[in-house]
Amino acid sequence: MAAATGPIPGDPTPFSISLAETASSAIQSFAPISRIHQHLCAFHFYADDMSRQIEAHHFCAHLNEDVRQCLVFDSPDPGARLIGVEYIVSEPIYLTLPDEEKPLWHSHEFEVKSGILFLPGVSGAVQRQDLEKVAKTYGKTFHFWQVDRGDELPLGIPNLMMALTRDGQLHENLSQDVEKKFGVSFAEERGRRAYMSGPEHGVHPLANGAGKGLKLELREVALPPTVPVPSVFV
Amino acid sequence: MASSDKKPVLAPASTGIQGQEPPGKPETIATTVIDAGAKLVQSMKPIQKIKQHACTFALYGHDLHRQIETSHYISRLNNDFLQCAVYDSDESSARLIGVEYVVSAELFERLPAEEQKLWHSHAYEVKAGLWASPRLPDLIEKPELENLARTYGKFWCTWQVDRGDRLPLGAPALMMSPQGVNAGKVRPEMVKRRDDRLGISSEYLKEARLEMAEPEWIHPNADYWKQHGEGFAVDVVSAEMKTVAAFP
Repeated sequence: MAAATGPIPGDPTPFSISLAETASSAIQSFAPISRIHQHLCAFHFYADDMSRQIEAHHFCAHLNEDVRQCLVFDSPDPGARLIGVEYIVSEPIYLTLPDEEKPLWHSHEFEVKSGILFLPGVSGAVQRQDLEKVAKTYGKTFHFWQVDRGDELPLGIPNLMMALTRDGQLHENLSQDVEKKFGVSFAEERGRRAYMSGPEHGVHPLANGAGKGLKLELREVALPPTVPVPSVFV
Repeated sequence: MASSDKKPVLAPASTGIQGQEPPGKPETIATTVIDAGAKLVQSMKPIQKIKQHACTFALYGHDLHRQIETSHYISRLNNDFLQCAVYDSDESSARLIGVEYVVSAELFERLPAEEQKLWHSHAYEVKAGLWASPRLPDLIEKPELENLARTYGKFWCTWQVDRGDRLPLGAPALMMSPQGVNAGKVRPEMVKRRDDRLGISSEYLKEARLEMAEPEWIHPNADYWKQHGEGFAVDVVSAEMKTVAAFP
């Protein structure tokens, strides 16, 4: 599948708008965005299709010690597309989730211990201080924009995403591409992360789709009766 | 299982009481220090493109009576496309509740009809003074607003905080925009509460925007509920996973 690498359709931003944005970025407050402190690179695949894999750039904030929330982009570049969100919770929090909810979440142990999940630009020793915690967490990821199939715009309904759980899943070309782009070696980092451990109680059997595929479907819902409005009258 | 329109079982994760913080311990000093260090050395370019903040309202597409105030943090990719990180407040403790994409009328026209049904129009929201840009003088806001009144949005909500979810549960919910008719109207007490907090007046904004050009025509496929009396919900269903290796 050809990934969407071209620009978003549409005209360039006119100067008047750019100027307004420079002003707003200086004048307004961005408190929730200022909490975003970390860039984390990993891979996601579709919860019903492991063969469709995407390099996912997470920009993460802590809500507290146990809960994080991340904006997921398709690249670390200024023109990156916001393709999804991921929430990350510690093991004790995950265990309080209803059983119906648990399958929507994926474990992080393999991604972290294999070296594949990493913090671009951060030294190994410093990364590992945080990643040893991440190894014990669970994540819930939705994507809204199927850039891997070449969609120029975010079409369709959301997709539940999953994360790598064992060797042999990650496409070799994607792996090498990321290693080269960011100057990292997953194998080397794996060696240094051997000391880390996953969740205290082991990866929960209901996590990762309970080992099965999942997908989302749209359904029409009747709303309480209202008088239909002809579109002529806005 | 986990449908966007089904109330979750009461549990620590969803208490039914709006406004509770997520469960978990306060950030430790160690975490804060590690985070500060990362922030210094890492490049955060996509985040630096977030240059606008707007406060507005949205309605759940499957239940228009459920209405929320939102804080949108907006990044413009070109003259026809915006991507917004949506939070439940403008404070540093705000929860990330979803993502909204905004496209110009020109881009919207090019979408297939089935896709257009998932989108909503913005003209009413802007003209009614519901969409507000905190702290930004009217004059600076103006070019952006005229642009915005002609756009369409698609908003997925991933954390239903208004029903007391302390954690993001279930499938994403499709959201709709305020409209000037019937169930599309935002409850006045919600607007007042927002206005008082920000020290603004939606009435004033509405009058200031009277002169603003309105789109001549809103596409009938947008705001699907208006024509059809139906909304959309999202279900999580089992599926055969296509694999390339053993799973999990």
